[in-house]
Amino acid sequence: MNESWKSYASGSFFDELITPQGQPRAAARGVVRLLQKLPGQEMAERRAAAELAIREMGISFTVYNEAGNIDRAWPFDIIPRVISARQWQAVSDGLRQRSLALNHFIQDIYNQQKILADGVVPADIVLESTNFKPQCMGMSPRFGVWAHICGSDLVRDGDGRFRVLEDNLRVPSGVSYMLENREITKRVLPELFENYSILPVDDYPSQLYQTLASLSPRERRRPCIVVLTPGIFNSAYFEHAYLAQGMGAELVEGRDLMVADDNCVYMRTVDGPVRVDVIYRRIDEDFMDPEAFRPESLLGVAGLMRAWKAGNVAIANAPGSGVADDKVIYAFVPEMIRYYLKQKPLLASVPTWLCMREKDREHVLKNLDQLVVKPANESGGYGIMVGPHSTAAVRRKFARLIEENPRNYVAQPTLALSTAPTYIDDTVEPRHLDLRPFILQGRDTWVTPGGLTRVALTKGSLVVNSSQGGGSKDTWIVEGKA
Amino acid sequence: MTMLSSVAERLYWMGRYLERAEDSARLVAAYNHLIMDIPRAAELGWDVLVRILDAEPVFYQQYRVGNEQNVLRFLMAEEDSCASIPFAVRWARENVRTTRDVLPEETWEQINELHLYVSDAAEKSVGRRNRQAFLEEVISRCQRVNGMLSSSLPRDHAHRFLRLGHLLERSDMTTRLMDVGTGEILGRAGTHEATDPLIWTSLLQALSSFGAYRRMIGPLVEAQEVVEFVFQEPLLPRSVAFCLAEIRLELKPLKNHESAMRILNRGRRKLGKLQPEQMSREALHAYIDEFQALLADLHDAITASWFHPDTP
Repeated sequence: MNESWKSYASGSFFDELITPQGQPRAAARGVVRLLQKLPGQEMAERRAAAELAIREMGISFTVYNEAGNIDRAWPFDIIPRVISARQWQAVSDGLRQRSLALNHFIQDIYNQQKILADGVVPADIVLESTNFKPQCMGMSPRFGVWAHICGSDLVRDGDGRFRVLEDNLRVPSGVSYMLENREITKRVLPELFENYSILPVDDYPSQLYQTLASLSPRERRRPCIVVLTPGIFNSAYFEHAYLAQGMGAELVEGRDLMVADDNCVYMRTVDGPVRVDVIYRRIDEDFMDPEAFRPESLLGVAGLMRAWKAGNVAIANAPGSGVADDKVIYAFVPEMIRYYLKQKPLLASVPTWLCMREKDREHVLKNLDQLVVKPANESGGYGIMVGPHSTAAVRRKFARLIEENPRNYVAQPTLALSTAPTYIDDTVEPRHLDLRPFILQGRDTWVTPGGLTRVALTKGSLVVNSSQGGGSKDTWIVEGKA
Repeated sequence: MTMLSSVAERLYWMGRYLERAEDSARLVAAYNHLIMDIPRAAELGWDVLVRILDAEPVFYQQYRVGNEQNVLRFLMAEEDSCASIPFAVRWARENVRTTRDVLPEETWEQINELHLYVSDAAEKSVGRRNRQAFLEEVISRCQRVNGMLSSSLPRDHAHRFLRLGHLLERSDMTTRLMDVGTGEILGRAGTHEATDPLIWTSLLQALSSFGAYRRMIGPLVEAQEVVEFVFQEPLLPRSVAFCLAEIRLELKPLKNHESAMRILNRGRRKLGKLQPEQMSREALHAYIDEFQALLADLHDAITASWFHPDTP
């Protein structure tokens, strides 16, 4: 074993690659054995090769700060995370079930609202949410599906059990990094692929294409699909361009599109207007159509909602999908699964206290130092308080925020997030991670084998967001024994 | 396969800026030679270059005197001045950045390297010692990008709009250059018959066409013949006639080309009527002015037909 692994100890957390006895877990045996045999010098060389590949491939993301926008190289850890295919199958079934139930819910909310009438979900938390868009009432998109692309964040707790932490139904991002991570691993650790059967991920752009194509309002052999981006200054522009290229779709900004008198969407081309069938929207719905939402938006296309409601264009994810992407609604997903599908939830979620309920709120305020408090309606890890890591001043601030606006806050127990070996400087150390798989739903449902693993590079940190010092790892779903 | 108007527009400007960077470098290089060759050259002044590029108002906002240092700093080293080489290079690069997916993979790398080179070297190349080497390097790097594009870009819309920008910019820069010969330099004190051939020769050199002139016309460099050659020679890739003929070929397959074609044909007829031996220097200068206005109309027509078709 080389030096860098000698002192590896995951402590009390569940480590995904190494058992508490210090032995590699079955699915990871091959990876761990090989990496432990590499001389330390070579580990460093492989990491340097990965960094070079990232620069050459131009994989970057944008960070916003006072100095303006900076393009940063994508932080990547070369040690892959390994999950057995058997275990993954169960997770994948659970995600599929969840995505079906969420879509039933959205469809119900914008139509009969049965679940509210039956009192399974309180009506006021849905109808008073800023994510509920009355403009969408009465709509019924193809297949009854609203959230065609869902990115769910999973964590593993102290027992190694997968739990859903949240569902991103608005414009989830990160899938291009999942694809690039595999490319990089193939380049820098090719020998790992010799003895493993690793499920490929590079299918994603064609699966996405098929999902989007199935939504086309016109029956055509090649429907016209566009990716709508806010533009080059958006932090995920790289991904927008990547996916457009992968699908052979046009990458458009709002000003490339227009809605004509016939309520159809056209893109402006040198051959004149060309009708668009499907829009993969990577712009927030509030900015999507100045006619229907924020009138000051310059990014959107006036009349887009009209065209969508007339059934002349499909939009993915459909406007209004965000109604199910709310940390208060999250607490009701197990109920939705029972209500709509008459099934038991296959995937565990995280116990959630809703500050709007008096009893819950009392509990939360009493236990602020133990809990993670989240705003119901933010993404990217902003506005979160991790109780055990917080100061008294911060807890006071959150207590005030909760009292002022209880509807906007939920709390969850601080989870003992799993760890995996991560190469830091010249030693291998445990770091916490999460996982974002992507679920596609159109005519069919499809789940990525694995997903994007994000890792908190700072020792002990639970924050994995790339905008806040997180990195990522290649994620392997492996078949059979290594 | 069609193309988004916005993408076509960026490619067109990429073509224009790349050509502008190269032609500006040529212009400065040729003038630099000329100044060394002409007795009492100082009287010619460097501000001519600013006038050729129509940049006087901007220039005099920043500088009081049009001397060698100021003019060359303005044209070679200021990334924010719209007439400078770094400005053209930066905007060529910006336009590639957002159209990378329709261009060969090497395009971004090469244009990026050109940009890095210019930002690195421009400042220290304003002085006489490094000036020529810098200009030559810019010219040859621009040519590398053009060569790569012409040997690997499929002849579809991407190529077409890139080429339209390239050809229009070239016609524009060529006519500007000829204006120097007619209106600017030759009319001034400090020049006389003995220096005329030197000036015309340097103009031909700026167009990389001196060798071709000698072979096709002859060794004696004379005003009328140079003007005819540069405007009307159908076989010379930098002549106005050649550029317009090529523009016509690119416009033809495009839908909705009527208005651009009408202006283009007007230009071709106008070109046919040019008879430098019967024209005074002032008349020629006026002719060139009109011609440039026509090129500006052509640009407007292209913009209106394909880039912003529904903006009234």
